[in-house]
Amino acid sequence: MSGTDISLTDRIGTRHPDAGITRRHPAILPWLPGPVWLADALVTWRWPDADDFPDTTLLAILFAVTGIALLTAAATGVLTKRAPWATALGSGFGAWEIAQAKLLSLPRPFFGTPQDLLDVFITDWHRLGDSLLHSLGLLAAGYTVGSLAGIATGIGLGRSKRFRYWVHPVLRAIGPLPPVALLPLTFVLIPSSWLAGEALMALASGFPAAILTWSGIAAVDPAYYDVARTMGARERFLTLRVALPAAMPQIFVGLFMGLGASFAMLIIAEMLGVKAGLGFYMQWAQGWAAYPNMYAALIVMSLMCTGLITLLFRLRDRILVWQKDGLKW
Amino acid sequence: MVTTPATSGLSLGLSAIRHGYTLGRDFTAVIGGVTLNIAAGEFVALLGPSGCGKSTLLRLIAGLEAPHEGEILADGLPVAGPHPDRILMFQDPTLYPWRTVRQNVSLSQDISGKKDAAAVDDIISLVGLSGFERAWPHQLSGGMAQRAALARALINHPKLLLLDEPLGKLDALTRLTMQTELHRLWKERGFTAVMVTHDVEEALFLATRIVTLSARPARIVSDIQVDLPFHRHRDDPQVLQLRRDILTRLGHRDDW
Ligand SMILES: Nc1ncnc2c1ncn2[C@@H]1O[C@H](COP(=O)(O)OP(=O)(O)OP(=O)(O)O)[C@@H](O)[C@H]1O
Ligand SMILES: [Mg+2]
Repeated sequence: MSGTDISLTDRIGTRHPDAGITRRHPAILPWLPGPVWLADALVTWRWPDADDFPDTTLLAILFAVTGIALLTAAATGVLTKRAPWATALGSGFGAWEIAQAKLLSLPRPFFGTPQDLLDVFITDWHRLGDSLLHSLGLLAAGYTVGSLAGIATGIGLGRSKRFRYWVHPVLRAIGPLPPVALLPLTFVLIPSSWLAGEALMALASGFPAAILTWSGIAAVDPAYYDVARTMGARERFLTLRVALPAAMPQIFVGLFMGLGASFAMLIIAEMLGVKAGLGFYMQWAQGWAAYPNMYAALIVMSLMCTGLITLLFRLRDRILVWQKDGLKW
Repeated sequence: MVTTPATSGLSLGLSAIRHGYTLGRDFTAVIGGVTLNIAAGEFVALLGPSGCGKSTLLRLIAGLEAPHEGEILADGLPVAGPHPDRILMFQDPTLYPWRTVRQNVSLSQDISGKKDAAAVDDIISLVGLSGFERAWPHQLSGGMAQRAALARALINHPKLLLLDEPLGKLDALTRLTMQTELHRLWKERGFTAVMVTHDVEEALFLATRIVTLSARPARIVSDIQVDLPFHRHRDDPQVLQLRRDILTRLGHRDDW
């Protein structure tokens, strides 16, 4: 996805590392993207299409509306740091429109036009939306169950010798196996393909969560336990109020890794077994050579993934406010 | 200022304590037979060469580890494990980075479940951290972190305060302030204190009794009662005499 810059924030000082940079932009820069998008609109509207494409007028109107919105944003001073990106995006859309819709310079049907893509969203939004909801449901359930089970397993591994004795070998045997390898078996063993998908995603997200929770707890300074113990703390407090918060930064690393693994598992499961969701939609689109639909599904998928990652980052920032600094998403 | 009733400290009895650690195949004797009786309300300074087992001795008294041999009695009862009456303040502040200053100070209340917000406020202002209740530990200076650790140790009125070089990492001036503060708290509250220190002057300034230990395995070399009245001055001839005395026992006769 675009627009995600990685920078360090300083939580004590309010000064952002980029603070000084914005001011050095020439004042005309915020006024650039509006005209670019308006030019896109004009080209789309006036330059005849090379073939009979749908929705050309609507696309021109969308470009124009975006251009006007950007001009308003520039006038009200909202558009500053994002101006270069808005300009680049507008130029990109313009180039795409000219190259494909007006000049037809790339082979169809593999490469569609902007209006083809727009048409998919207009005519097929219902199915796309359903697929998205289905994917989200599958992912949310599998990932949540897997992560919680993973964290619980990690706590057990970190705090109990007996638990470690029995569970560690199992984890070593199953954990490194790519969950995909279990896919055929799972779909045979578990009659409900939805449940099978859940199980695989839980496995994919549970393993990294378990390992990183464990390693986080193993790395806790023993003095932290002593401090609480000398005040009379028992095992429960030591585990939940000392070990767990101390391991939290590591646990979040595991949660991020698990989320990535779940995305992969989700799409594969939907393509191969679960007959619904974005993965299935894409599979279907490919089968019917409906390439614009595939692109549309890709866009929705990317929005879903980045949205979920953003949510997880928000959660992390809330829970780990005490950390000096962290990666910003 | 807080107006808490002066709690009386507890008495300690250590009889023939021996302890050691196994590193790989080798067993290292760390405490080689220590017998020591401390009356309620005493302020004992423990001096000894580095690595001789001072921290280990404090851990044993706190009940974090059980001695291999010998018995430790607190108010006549055997020490079987840690107890909130006996608080150990570690060499490092070891504040929890995920808790604010206030949450760190009130740790023992979270453990016992007996919340008392007023007591937390009092102790925070006592150690001079008012206004920093909501700061995270990484935002504190070394001296402030040490004071927060002191507040955390004092919050539930321990009868015995075990201090492991509590001021070791502070700059000279903050150290003086904290020494005065410690002395005042001890006077006010009447707890028993056992403090490990490397600084003979600090011991002379604070303690009613100075115990020196030998190199590992630790044994008691000398046990000196300091009968001088408090507000002892560093250039008082009696203080200087005692200082030379103790340095000699620690094997530093020829050093100035
Ligand atoms: N958990 C442990 N395992 C093995 N050996 C240990 C352990 N704790 C302490 N020791 C050993 O016991 C000896 C005494 O350690 P201790 O920390 O009590 O010394 P100390 O007198 O406090 O030293 P210092 O003044 O430098 O703090 C050291 O030789 C140390 O290596
Ligand atoms: Mg020590």
